[in-house]
Amino acid sequence: MATAAVSLAPVQKTAHARFFEAWPPLTIAALAWIAGMVATALAADVLAPYPFTALDLKARLAPAVLLGGSWAHPFGTDELGRDVLSRLIMSIRMSLLIAFFGTMIAAVLGTTIGFVAAHFRRVVEAVVLMLIDFQASMPFLIIALSVLAFMGNSLSLFVVLMGFHSWERYARITRGLTISANEQGYASAVRQLGASSLRIYGLHVLPNIASTLIVSMTLTFPETILLESGLSFLGLGVQPPLTSLGNMVGYGREYLTRAPWIMLAPSAVIVLTTLSISIVGDWLRDRLDPTLR
Amino acid sequence: MTTPLLQAAELTRHYSVRSGAWPFGRTATLRAVDGVSFTLPAGRTLGLVGESGCGKSTTAKLVLGLVPPTRGEVRVMGETLPPAGTARWRALRRSIQMVFQDPLGALDRRVPVGDQITEPLIIHRIGTPAQRRDKAVATMAAVGLKLDHFDRYPHELSGGQRQRIVLARALVLEPKLIVCDEPISALDVSIQAQVVNLLVDLQAQLGIAYLFISHDLRMIRQVSHEVAVMYLGRIVEQGEPDSLLAQPAHPYTQALISAIPTASTRTRRGRIILKGDPPNPIDLPSGCAFHTRCAFAVARCRTETPALRVMADGRRVACHLADTNSPRAVA
Amino acid sequence: MMRYLAGRVLRGLFTILLVMTFAFVVLRLSGDPALLIMTVDAPPEAIAAFRTSWGLDRPLWDQYVTYVLRAAIGDLGNSMRDGRPAIELVLDRVPATLAITIPAFLLKIGIGVPAGIYAALHRNSLADRLTMLVSVAGFTVPSFVLALVLVLVFSVKLGWLPSSGSETLAHAILPIVTLGTAGAAVIARFTRSAMLEVLGQPYIRAASAKGLTWRRVVTDHALPNAAIPTTTIIGFMIGALIAGAVVVESVFAWPGVGRLLVVAVANRDLAVVQALLIIIAATMVAANILVDLVYGWIDPRMRTRHPAGAQ
Repeated sequence: MATAAVSLAPVQKTAHARFFEAWPPLTIAALAWIAGMVATALAADVLAPYPFTALDLKARLAPAVLLGGSWAHPFGTDELGRDVLSRLIMSIRMSLLIAFFGTMIAAVLGTTIGFVAAHFRRVVEAVVLMLIDFQASMPFLIIALSVLAFMGNSLSLFVVLMGFHSWERYARITRGLTISANEQGYASAVRQLGASSLRIYGLHVLPNIASTLIVSMTLTFPETILLESGLSFLGLGVQPPLTSLGNMVGYGREYLTRAPWIMLAPSAVIVLTTLSISIVGDWLRDRLDPTLR
Repeated sequence: MTTPLLQAAELTRHYSVRSGAWPFGRTATLRAVDGVSFTLPAGRTLGLVGESGCGKSTTAKLVLGLVPPTRGEVRVMGETLPPAGTARWRALRRSIQMVFQDPLGALDRRVPVGDQITEPLIIHRIGTPAQRRDKAVATMAAVGLKLDHFDRYPHELSGGQRQRIVLARALVLEPKLIVCDEPISALDVSIQAQVVNLLVDLQAQLGIAYLFISHDLRMIRQVSHEVAVMYLGRIVEQGEPDSLLAQPAHPYTQALISAIPTASTRTRRGRIILKGDPPNPIDLPSGCAFHTRCAFAVARCRTETPALRVMADGRRVACHLADTNSPRAVA
Repeated sequence: MMRYLAGRVLRGLFTILLVMTFAFVVLRLSGDPALLIMTVDAPPEAIAAFRTSWGLDRPLWDQYVTYVLRAAIGDLGNSMRDGRPAIELVLDRVPATLAITIPAFLLKIGIGVPAGIYAALHRNSLADRLTMLVSVAGFTVPSFVLALVLVLVFSVKLGWLPSSGSETLAHAILPIVTLGTAGAAVIARFTRSAMLEVLGQPYIRAASAKGLTWRRVVTDHALPNAAIPTTTIIGFMIGALIAGAVVVESVFAWPGVGRLLVVAVANRDLAVVQALLIIIAATMVAANILVDLVYGWIDPRMRTRHPAGAQ
């Protein structure tokens, strides 16, 4: 019995240690934050205590609870008496939605272009590579600003624009991996069986490169949030009456001296969210894709 | 005479290659396969042997229709092989399958074994899902895989088992011909014999023909009914394996056979060491391509390309000296 | 080397042409610029005059050729708002931008490179962990948040520095610090990983095995090799200087190129946006060519390409 007890203890310890090695506390915290943000975005209508455009002219620029305000407006109110917490919740939904669709558009577009380049090679590939170089050599903020200047702003155009942000990364990854798959190995083995290209790319190549693509998404998703909030901050992104995190910070800038809580809450959300996704991305990369390490 | 299963007639494949950067360099022609002809009757095995870069694998790709021939044609059961990707090609390809050198590379590591064996049936739209599964299970049994391998992944199995999966994937369509491109060279020596025996057994049971490509003359001898030796895109000697190995007529064959290692120290034979590397296939020597490395070369070899001629014993040799320089025994 | 350089320049010019074409196409896709820029109640003669002055009444290919040829001699059209040549408006703002981006750039390198080297040489120490933490924050904290927090602390709470404007030298401090901090974090992270990569190489072990002091190993072997990838990332930053200044100049009301871009976009002054786009592209291209040259100078493998400098 005694020996069994002695040998049991270290086993339990290592199991504990192994759990934290696989799930580091920082990663758990980051995952929890992301889950919280997603839940907030999904249940925004239920969670928001006030309609986000509702004015409360009696309580204009009411401070947040932590800064001596009342619980009626826990995060304070703005110049028009709108509840900052409610606006924050709606902003989280808007920013996450834009980043989500932007990332999806980029991933689908980039992956498709990568497959096309790898499939046709020659001229098509040369054109794609030229576009990739072009996109990578110009800061996207500048391109985005020019497009917004030339074509005007609407929410759908803005989302599509965010989708053009990082397509070239997916295209580059997909092209490279597809070419190596096509040249030797499973893809050519299935091709010589008589399979169609759609079957090869969809059922064989895509699942094999999916983990690399997912890791790339965790890199581009926070970048898209930052880009969206930057443009909205400048007043060139999401337009009032709609609100996003960057929009709120931009608005809060005007009241920096009198009501800093207006910009502090959305700023903190931006930083914590991008940080969490980066942490989870690093962790995923280590787990899923040893080739990226 | 019945139509043979597979016929290659003057099969030629050239590649244009560019040396130097565009637009400077010049284009040259690489003669990967240069006028190869052979016939393979049903249920027989033709072994293709030669050094790497001699055009064996390109010949395999031509036979499968994966690359179009520059000249000449492949006929399967009397029908010219249509270009890859066409419906007719797909239909014909049901009867020609392929086994690869590297089984792990040829398998998708994210798809269970059973699904990979079933996949050819789905691609060619054969049977119902239940029938496909039964067929796959039966084929797995035929190649010596167990039923519980069905849901496993390739990397969970051994090298020999993986090659059996590749073989099962080829067999599930009930082909008449399997092209085996160095099917055992990536396997452990102890496994090689098992896979070769399996191939021979399957031929006896199912009457499959093999185009067996290897650089290993001994392995070729075990499985082949006929052997063709290739050098720089051409067949230099072709014949029945025992006599070809015992009494090679072409100097190149002689050199290849003398390079086979023997365990016995008593029968130390005169080993022929080839001079230098094979010539650059872009810049082939004039006349007989082998004359730069041949110990017996005469002036004629430099100017005139020898044709494949039929010898007295039915063997075919492409050498000007094949008559005078009588086949020497390599004991 | 000359031939290589000529090829680089040619490719660079092609990139600029691509950017110009992009601007041309997007502008034409957006509909009629005349209607975009003029008010709805503008008299038809005014719209017609605008069209003629922009050549919008001529065929597309004609417009394109004229546009490219004019750009080649430095004529990028006139501002649609105040009628001054767009290129002049942009060039007027360049000194202000350089006044904050160059010190910020020096700050980035001055902090980022030593911090990265120190972190790599003291791997897993407290200093290393701290450097990595700050550098992750540098990536995740957007520059407008950092700028506002700095303003909140140093202008609003402490009252040490002005929050916006450009009248005195003190006005430049916060913009420079904001720009420098984020870049320093990126450079530190990159330098650290480049150093760690180099320190793991066999020749470093060989150098210490032959009896060199660790200091000599680091200065003679590790640093020169780690400098090569670090130069690349720094070079990319030169090109992105203007882009990085867009947000910061807006926050601090700094009258530079970045702010001009934001104002021009908000006003839909297409000529100015177009001119900025092309000038920024040219800066990027020039910076990349410069990086290639520096590369050739610090990396002996590149030098051997040059026949005279072989060995």
